[in-house]
Amino acid sequence: MKNRFRKPGGQRLFTKLFLIMTVSIVAVCLLTSLITIRMSERLFAETFSITNGKVLQQIQTSLSSFHDSIVNASTFATQSGTVKSYLTSEESDSVSMSKLYYRMSEQVNQMNSNLGAFDVSVMITGVNGRSYSSDRAYWPVTNSELAKEPLTARAVANANRILYQYDQRMNGDEAEHFLIASKAMVDRTSGLPYGMLYVSIREQEFRRFFANFTSVGNDVVVLDSSGKIVSSNRLELIGSAEPELLEDAQRIVSNQLDYQSGAVFGKERIILSNYLPSYDLYLVNLIDRQYTAGQIINVQSVALTCILIILFALLVVFIMSRRLTSSLTRLVRQMSTITKRDFGNYITVKGGFEVQELGKAFNYMLDELNDYIRQLLDTQKEQRNAELAALQRQINPHFLYNTLASIKMLVQKGSKETAAETINALISLLQNTISNVSETIPIEQEMENMRNYVFINHVRYGDRIKVNYFVSPDCLEYEVPKLIIQPFIENAFFHAFNEKNEGTIYILISKNENTLVCEVVDNGDGMELNGESNVLPNSKSHRQLFTGIGIQNVNHRIKLLYGETYGVHISSTKGEGTKVRIIMPLLSKLDGTEELEGQTK
Amino acid sequence: MKKTVSLILASLMLMLTLSACSGNSGGTSGSGGSEGSKNTGTTNSGSSGGSQEVTVWAWDPNFNIAALKLAKERFEAKQQDITVNIIEYAQDDIIQKLNTGLNSGTTKGLPNIVLIEDYRAQNFLQAYPDAFRDMSDVIKSDDFAEYKIGPTSYDGKQFGVPFDSGATGLYIRTDYLEQAGYTVDDVTNIDWNQFIEVGKKIKEVTGKDMLTQDPNDLGLIRVMAQSAGSWYLKEDGKTPNIADNPVIKEALETYKAMFDANIVKMNSDWSQFLAAFNNGDVASVPTGNWITPSVKAEASQSGNWAVVPIPRLGGSSSSVNASSLGGSSWYVMNMDGQDAAASFLADTFGSDSELYSDLLEQIGAIGSLKAAASGSAYEKGDDYFGGQKIYADFAKWTEEVPKVNYGLHTYAIEDILVIEIQNYLNGKDVDSVMRDAQTQAESQLQ
Repeated sequence: MKNRFRKPGGQRLFTKLFLIMTVSIVAVCLLTSLITIRMSERLFAETFSITNGKVLQQIQTSLSSFHDSIVNASTFATQSGTVKSYLTSEESDSVSMSKLYYRMSEQVNQMNSNLGAFDVSVMITGVNGRSYSSDRAYWPVTNSELAKEPLTARAVANANRILYQYDQRMNGDEAEHFLIASKAMVDRTSGLPYGMLYVSIREQEFRRFFANFTSVGNDVVVLDSSGKIVSSNRLELIGSAEPELLEDAQRIVSNQLDYQSGAVFGKERIILSNYLPSYDLYLVNLIDRQYTAGQIINVQSVALTCILIILFALLVVFIMSRRLTSSLTRLVRQMSTITKRDFGNYITVKGGFEVQELGKAFNYMLDELNDYIRQLLDTQKEQRNAELAALQRQINPHFLYNTLASIKMLVQKGSKETAAETINALISLLQNTISNVSETIPIEQEMENMRNYVFINHVRYGDRIKVNYFVSPDCLEYEVPKLIIQPFIENAFFHAFNEKNEGTIYILISKNENTLVCEVVDNGDGMELNGESNVLPNSKSHRQLFTGIGIQNVNHRIKLLYGETYGVHISSTKGEGTKVRIIMPLLSKLDGTEELEGQTK
Repeated sequence: MKKTVSLILASLMLMLTLSACSGNSGGTSGSGGSEGSKNTGTTNSGSSGGSQEVTVWAWDPNFNIAALKLAKERFEAKQQDITVNIIEYAQDDIIQKLNTGLNSGTTKGLPNIVLIEDYRAQNFLQAYPDAFRDMSDVIKSDDFAEYKIGPTSYDGKQFGVPFDSGATGLYIRTDYLEQAGYTVDDVTNIDWNQFIEVGKKIKEVTGKDMLTQDPNDLGLIRVMAQSAGSWYLKEDGKTPNIADNPVIKEALETYKAMFDANIVKMNSDWSQFLAAFNNGDVASVPTGNWITPSVKAEASQSGNWAVVPIPRLGGSSSSVNASSLGGSSWYVMNMDGQDAAASFLADTFGSDSELYSDLLEQIGAIGSLKAAASGSAYEKGDDYFGGQKIYADFAKWTEEVPKVNYGLHTYAIEDILVIEIQNYLNGKDVDSVMRDAQTQAESQLQ
C-alpha cells in the first residue's frame, strides 16, 4: 500500500480528487442543513405565532364565558331583595331569621348554578356584619381579615365594575393563590354600598382555562395591570411582579403586533399578548424559541443524518476515485514498460469504462504495430529469398565452361570413364541447385552435392587438396538450406592453399545439444582475423566461382531464417588453417517450416 | 459503471431531501398540553410474595386521615409485608368515585379500603353487596357499640369496621347557666322541653341564644329521632317513615318550639357554626363528640364548659338521653388484596384498644370499640370542662345510643324536610307538613 501511494502519479490524482470531493460534500451537506434549519425555524416562529394567536383567542373566549357567568351571578345578587335584606337587616326572632337564612341559602344556590360550570366559591359580606359563603374552606379568609384587605378597598373604589384581583392565602406552609372577582353591591336609591360580593377561584382552577394549551417551552402567564403575575402554568412565577413583561405585553397590544421576540426570564422567547378588557388582565403567551424549535427541529438528528450521509458519500467517493485512479495508474505503468521495445506487452483490460477503452485502444494499437512489423519482416525475407534465388540460379558460366572444357580435355585424352563421371556429377549438381531456393534439403543430399562439386574440382584442378567428410550418422536426416556449405568449400579450395601446395579440407557435421554444427576446416594458409572471430572476410573482392552466393550471404541468410543465435563463426591462424563453424537449428523434414514461422513472429 | 454512479447520487439526494423533510415536519402544532392525571389510588396487591400495598381513601385530614396515619404507624411497625397507602379526597369526591366505579361494575381504580359515613353506608351495601368484603370472619360485631352495627351490616353480614363514635352530648356554658340561676345538674338528663325552658331563661337573663342552627342542616332532628330509636325510614331502610311517625312529629314540634321560643341563632356554614360558640353567642351546642377539639379551640372559655347527656324527647317513652350524629366506618372492597386490607383493619380499628387511646389523646377521637372505652385516657379529667371526665362520659353514652337503621335515603329525605320545615316554621300545620314530606319522599324514592 505504501508503495502504491508513493507512486507519484496515482497518489497526486487520488489525493486531489478525494480532497475536492470531501470538501464539496461536507460544504453542501452543512449548507443545506443550515439553510433548512434556519428556514424551518423562521417558518416555525410564524406558524407558532399564528396558531398560538388562535389559541389565545380561544382562551379569551372561554375566559369571557367565565366572566359572563360572574356578571350574571353578580347581577342576580344585586337584584335579589333577599340578599339585600340578609346583608342589611337587624337581628330579629329566630323564626324569621331562619326564614331569611334559608332563603339566602336558596339565593346563593341559584347564584352558584350560574357558576356551576366552574369550581368557584361565592362569598357575600354585608354592612351588618353578616356574611354568607358557599364554601368557606375554599377561600379561607375571615370576615374581619376581608374587611381590612386592600382588595376590598379597591373593589369599593371601583363600585361600578367587577374587579379581578390577585390574592394569596397561606394553607399550612403552602401559599395558595386566588383570583378574586369582587363587586360592591350598591343601594340604587341612596347610592351607598350595602355589601360585597366576592367570587373566588383558585389559581389552579383559573389555570385550567389555558393550561391545556401549554407545554414545556410554551408558557402562558396572566398579568394584572400592575405587572404582577396572577396565574401561570409556571407555578414558581405566580405572585411575582414582572413590569418589563407588562411593558412588552402593552406594546404588543397597543401596536397590534402579532408577536414580538425578546428575552424573558433569561431566555429568548416569542411573546404573544392579548388584553382582556373585562378582566383588566393581560394574557401573555411565551414561547421558548430555542427549546420548542429544538423539539420540532431535531438538530441532533439532522446533524447525525448529515454526518451519516457525509461518511457514506466519502466512502463511496473514496472507493470510486480509488478505483478510477488505480486503474489509471496501472495503465500508465503498463504503458511505460512498452517503451522498452517490447511490443508484445499487452495491457490487461480492466478498471473503469474509460480506462478499459483506453486499454483496448492501446492493445489494438499494439496489434497493429506488431502486424506492421511482421509484414515488414515478411517483405524483407521475401526480398532476401528473391535475391538468393536470383544468385542461386546465376550459376557461374565460367564454372560451366571450365568444367565443360575439362570434360573435353578428358574426352580428348581418351579417359572416357572420368569424363562420363564428371558429366554425371555436373548434371546432378545442376539438378539440385537450380530448383526452388527456399527449399531445404537433407544433409545427406547436401553432402552428395558437395561430393559432386569436389569431384568436378578435382577433375579440373587435380587432387592435391583432399576433402574428408565426417558426418555424424544421426544428422543425415536434418534439413539445411541448399548450398549452405558450398561457399566455404569453394573458399577453402581457392584461397586457403595459395602458399601451401597441398592440404586437406575437413567437413564435419554433428549435433550439439539443440543445434546442428557444420564445420569446414582446412589446414591451409590461414589468415589474419585481427582477433575478431565473427568478422567474415569480405568476399566481394573475390569472384564467386560456382554461384553468386558468398560467405557473407550465408551468414545473413542463416540469421534471417533462424534468428540471431545462429550464424557463421570463423577462426583462423596464420599458417595453420581456417575453421568455419556454421550453427543452425535442428530441423527435420516435417516441422522445418513451422519452426521457421515461429521464429519470425 | 455510469449507471451505478448515478444511482448512488440519486439515493444520496433522496436521503438529503428526506432528512430535510423530517426536520421540518410537525412545525405547526404548538399546543397540546399535558393532561395531568391524578394518580388515583391504584390497587395492586397480588397475593404472591413480597410486600402488598393497601390503599385507603378517606376525608378530613384533621380527623380521619390523622387517625389513619396513627393506625398505619402501629400496623407497619408490627409487620413488614403490607404497606398502607393513604389517599385523601373530599367526602363528595369519594362518594362520586365509588358510585362511578361500582356502577360501571369494575373495582379498577378503587381503593382497598374506603371510609363511608354511616348515613350513606346502607345505600352502598344494599346497592352493591358484592362489592364489599364480609368482615364477619375477622371482627366481632359484639365488640362495637350496638348502634354502629345497623348501618355497617347488611343481610346478617358485618361489612363495615365501625370507626368513630358519633355519640352526642350537650355542650353547655356553665357561666351562662349560673347567671340564669341554673346548675349543671339542672340540665343533666333533661328532655328537650326543659332545654327550651332553660334556653328562654338564659336568653332573658344574658341575651344569648341557647343554640345555633343552619336551616339547611337537620342534624338536630336526626339526633332526636335516633334518641327514640326511630328514623326517617322504616326498619326495611327503604320506606319513608314520616307521616305517622310520632317520634318525627315530636322532633318537628320540638324544633319549631325552639324557634318560636326565639332562642336559636342562625348560621349558614361550618365556620359560622364554630364562630357562634367560640364567640360566646350561644349557650349550648347539642352535637356529636367530634366537636370537642373545636370547642376547646377557644382557650379563653376554658372552665366555662360542661358536657351533659343530650336531652331526650319528653313525649316519646322510648327516647333516651343518648344519641348519635355523624360517625363513619371502614369498608373493604371485594377485590384483589382484600385479605391484606382486612387484616389491617382487624389489627387496628377492629381490635387495637391502645390505638384508640392514642387516637383519643392525640386527636380527641372517640371510637366505638367497646374494649377501648376503658383505657386510662378515658379516665382523665379535662380541665377545659372543669375537670370533667368527658371521654369516659361519652364512652358510657356511646353504649346507650339506640340502634337504628339509617336506610338508603337519609339525605334524600332530609332535602325534602328542609323545605317542609321552612313551611312549618312559617305556620303550616305539622300534620300536613309530615304528610307532604311523606308524599314527596314516596314519589321521589320510588
